[in-house]
Amino acid sequence: MQLPVLNDAPTSKSGCEASSCGTTENQMDSLPDSIREKVQNHPCYSEDAHHYFARMHVAVAPACNIQCHYCNRKYDCSNESRPGVVSEVLTPDQAVKKTMAVATNIPQMTVLGIAGPGDPLANPERTFETFRRLSLEAPDIKLCVSTNGLALPDAVEELSKHNIDHVTITINCVDPEIGAKIYPWIFWNNKRIKGVKGAKILIEQQQKGLEMLIAKGILVKVNSVMIPGVNDQHLAEVSKVVKAKGAFLHNVMPLISEPEHGTFYGVMGQRGPTPDELQDLQDSCSGDMNMMRHCRQCRADAVGMLGEDRGDEFSLDKIADMDIDYPAAMEKRKVIHQAIQEEMDSKRLEKSTKAAQLKAAAKLTTRPVLMAVATSGQGVINVHFGHAKEFLIYEASPDGVRFISHRKADQYCGGDTSCGDGESVLQVTVRALAGCEAVLCSKVGYEPWEMLENAGIMPNGEHAMEFIEEAVMAVYKEMAAAGKLDDKQKAVRASA
Amino acid sequence: MAVKIIESCVNCFACEPVCPSKAIYEAKPHFLVDPKKCTECEGDFPVFQCASICPIEGAILDSLGMEINPPGSLTGIPPEKMAEAMRELQSH
Ligand code: SF4
Ligand code: SF4
Repeated sequence: MQLPVLNDAPTSKSGCEASSCGTTENQMDSLPDSIREKVQNHPCYSEDAHHYFARMHVAVAPACNIQCHYCNRKYDCSNESRPGVVSEVLTPDQAVKKTMAVATNIPQMTVLGIAGPGDPLANPERTFETFRRLSLEAPDIKLCVSTNGLALPDAVEELSKHNIDHVTITINCVDPEIGAKIYPWIFWNNKRIKGVKGAKILIEQQQKGLEMLIAKGILVKVNSVMIPGVNDQHLAEVSKVVKAKGAFLHNVMPLISEPEHGTFYGVMGQRGPTPDELQDLQDSCSGDMNMMRHCRQCRADAVGMLGEDRGDEFSLDKIADMDIDYPAAMEKRKVIHQAIQEEMDSKRLEKSTKAAQLKAAAKLTTRPVLMAVATSGQGVINVHFGHAKEFLIYEASPDGVRFISHRKADQYCGGDTSCGDGESVLQVTVRALAGCEAVLCSKVGYEPWEMLENAGIMPNGEHAMEFIEEAVMAVYKEMAAAGKLDDKQKAVRASA
Repeated sequence: MAVKIIESCVNCFACEPVCPSKAIYEAKPHFLVDPKKCTECEGDFPVFQCASICPIEGAILDSLGMEINPPGSLTGIPPEKMAEAMRELQSH
C-alpha cells in the first residue's frame, strides 16, 4: 500500500518550486558552520533550543516611518500581546539595565532583540546606543533586530559593526500594487508618500537592504504576514525571491485582526487566516523546514521563554532596586549554558537514535494524526489543559513525530469568561484545536473533557511529565492498535 | 505661528527627531511644541515635518486650530466605519 509521504507533499504544490523549498537539513547545511551553530541554539529558530533558552525584547524604538494596515500605534493596551504592542518605552540606558537584570535572573536568556514598538531603524540613535553598550558590557548576549526595511540600506554599515546575530525584515510583498493594499503611506525624504508610489519605494529599500546584508555576511530572516485575499497567493513568490537572494528563512505569520485593535484591517473586517490555511501556506513556502513553526509573534517587550512573558518581574521600578554584578553573573551563566548544551546534545543524540530505531522497526501503515500538547518547556508535557495559554501541535505518522506549529488557546480575551460573540473561552480553545485528534496535557477537567470528546479530540492526561515526542508516539501507536487510523478520512488534511 | 500637539498624541516619538527647529519636546501627558521655536518648517521644508510623519489623525493642529491630518486621511478607515466599529464595541 502506498502511504502519503509527508515530506513530499509540499514540493508538489503549485506556486512553489522545489528549488525554493528546501528541507530543514538542506537549509541548514548550506549555511557556513559558524552561522549554523548560532541558529542551532537559538530559541527563535531551533525547535528544541526554544525549550531551553530564552529571548527578550526591549522596547527602545517607539517611532515608525511607515504605516501598516495591521498596526495601530496606540500601544498601551495591557490586554494585548501581539507584535508592536508594549506598555513601557525604555531609554537605551534603561534597556541595558533591564537586559542585564534579566540575564542575571534568567540565565537561560541568551538573545536580546529590538523589535519596536515602532521600527528600530527609524530610531537609529536609540537602537544603536543599546547595541553598542550591550556588545561591550554583556558580550555573552546575542543581539538581533527587526525592521520594516525602509531605513535598512542606510543602517547596514552600522549594523555590521556590532555583534548582530541576525536581522529580520518584514516583507509582505514584492509587488507595489499589493503593497498599496497593505501600506497606506511611508515617510520618505521628508514627505509622506501614499499608495503605490510609497509601497514601491518601501519594496525597493527592503530588497536593497536584504542584498546588502547578505553581501556583508549578516544572517537574514524574512517575516511575512499572511492576509487572506490580499497577499496569500503572492507569498509563494515572495518566498522564492527572498530565498534566491540569500535569506536563510522565510517565516509566514497569520494576520491578527480584531475590531477592538482599531487597525484598518480590524475595523474593515479583514479576517486572519484559519489554522488550516496558515499551515497550507507555511508548508508550500517552507517545505519541511519547521524551524520557525513555533514563532509566537511575541510582543515587542516580551521577556522569557517563547510563549511566556515574565516582563512584569522586570518593570523599571523593580530593576532600579536590583543590584547587578554582571561579570559575576556571566561566570554563572557560562556554567549553566554548558549544562544546558550537554543536556540538549544528549537529547538530540537520543532522538536520532530513536528515529533510526523507528525506521528499522516494522513500519506502521497508518495515516498521520495531528495532536496538541500543553507544555511550559523542557520538552515535557507539564501543563493542565485549563491553564494552557497555547498548545504545540505535533504530527505523528509512521515516519515519526514532527513539530507543526503552535496555537493560542484564547487569543485575545483579557481573561474574562466570555468573548464578544458569547463564545466561552473553552469553546474558543476547543475551536483552536480543530484538526487535532488528541490533546496531551498533565490534567483535564470534567467539562473540557466532554467538550473535547464531542469535538472529536481525545483528551489524554496519562503522559504527564513525559517527553513530548515519546508520548505523542505512544498515543499514536495506541490509536493505531485500536484500529482508529485505518480510515483515510483525515489523511487528506494531514498531507495537504 | 506654530503648530500644536493635542491630547490624542500617543507619544510615539516620531515627530521629535524630524523637526528642523528642535521645537518638539517630550512632556507629560504627551509631546508638546514650543510655539516660540516652531517655524512651521518655513525655509526648511515645504510641508510640516511633524505632521508628515505623525501616525495619529488629529493629533497635530495648524495655527488656525485645524487638524492637519483629518479623520480617515492616514489610516484609510472611513470615519463612519470607525464610528460604527466603536459603537459595536461599546454595546458589548
Ligand atoms: S511644523 Fe515644523 S518646525 Fe513646527 S514643530 Fe512641526 S516640524 Fe517643528
Ligand atoms: S508623531 Fe504624533 S503621535 Fe507621535 S509623538 Fe508626535 S504628535 Fe504624538
